[in-house]
Amino acid sequence: MTPIPASLSSPHLTEEQFGDLLTQSVAPAAQTPASAQAHLLDCEQCAAELATMRQSLSLFRDANAAYADTLLRSMRPIKLPTRRHFALQPAYWATAAAALFLAAILPMQMLHRHSALPERPVTATIAAAVPDSPVESDEALLEDVNREISASVPTPMQALADPTATSTTTSSSQTSTQRKD
Amino acid sequence: MVPANIQTFSLLSSGLSFGAAQERTTPFDDIENVVALYQPRVFRFLLAQLRDRDAAETLTQETFLRAWSSRDSFREDCSVPTWLIRIALNLARDHTRTGRFRFWKHASANAVDVAEVAASVPSREGSAESQLIAQQQVAHIMETVAELSERQRTIFLLRFLDEMEIPEIAAATELPLGTVKSHLYRALHVIRTRHSNFTTESAPKEAR
Repeated sequence: MTPIPASLSSPHLTEEQFGDLLTQSVAPAAQTPASAQAHLLDCEQCAAELATMRQSLSLFRDANAAYADTLLRSMRPIKLPTRRHFALQPAYWATAAAALFLAAILPMQMLHRHSALPERPVTATIAAAVPDSPVESDEALLEDVNREISASVPTPMQALADPTATSTTTSSSQTSTQRKD
Repeated sequence: MVPANIQTFSLLSSGLSFGAAQERTTPFDDIENVVALYQPRVFRFLLAQLRDRDAAETLTQETFLRAWSSRDSFREDCSVPTWLIRIALNLARDHTRTGRFRFWKHASANAVDVAEVAASVPSREGSAESQLIAQQQVAHIMETVAELSERQRTIFLLRFLDEMEIPEIAAATELPLGTVKSHLYRALHVIRTRHSNFTTESAPKEAR
């Protein structure tokens, strides 16, 4: 790197001093080197140049900031992800893997349990449930209906047909027990 | 020989510490807040650096998305805005290195117009003539800044637009402090020389 040339005329501030003064524009004046401060008090040219440069740089910053702020107002909002991205969380991955595992294992377990049960005599049950022929089953049904209709006491009322029957039986049995004694 | 139960315990505790590291909170977890605080700053820098509205907008968005997706690597060795500017700088560097950018740089309809920026100079108390001079000064500095090398321009903008301190600039650019100062002084030297020429030229016009 080539060295920075000194100021245009040696009695004035060097480039480095000038740069220091400009970059320290925000910092308190106490940080400015004493020699540079003393020179600024004596040299109107350097003081004026420094003031103009500071003003121009301040205008540059303000203009750019104002322009950017104007554009920002019409800028589309930033598309942000959700706070904790689902796909990036290891805990969610573990839960999802466990759920998948259970979903795969449970049906297999149930299937295995079903296959382990003893085989029922399916054919015999079906044979018992289904009558030989529809005609015979119809006749049997009709006979049942006839029996119900022709009965003196309907089936639901049979328990009330002879209310004394039970007590008589009980007392007679008691009597017989006493006689044995 | 380490007993089996101690080995199991150490494995478990290392697993727990790994889990804790995974759950470490960063300022970027609340990304909405980070965006609200720093979007204007990042956009302003990218706009001045690239001088392209669309590119600045896209890269601003990309900066925050990158910051969020790589938030676990934020070690808090620098401030949040410095880290964001570092990401923005890397993105801008990648962007300007593409041939497409170089082609569109001069032809783009979204290119920032110097006169438009200069016209944004806040009107302070003063005559219309002084306002015009201020606009010319801004336009002149902008043109000079555009001619600086990429590194000089970046450092100049970080100091005089973003108002970052020299150590912060060094952290954002990942350059040594001395290098940052050297580039900054060079940039200032160029700007100062052109600026004095400009003020000398414009002084007689003002006198007239």
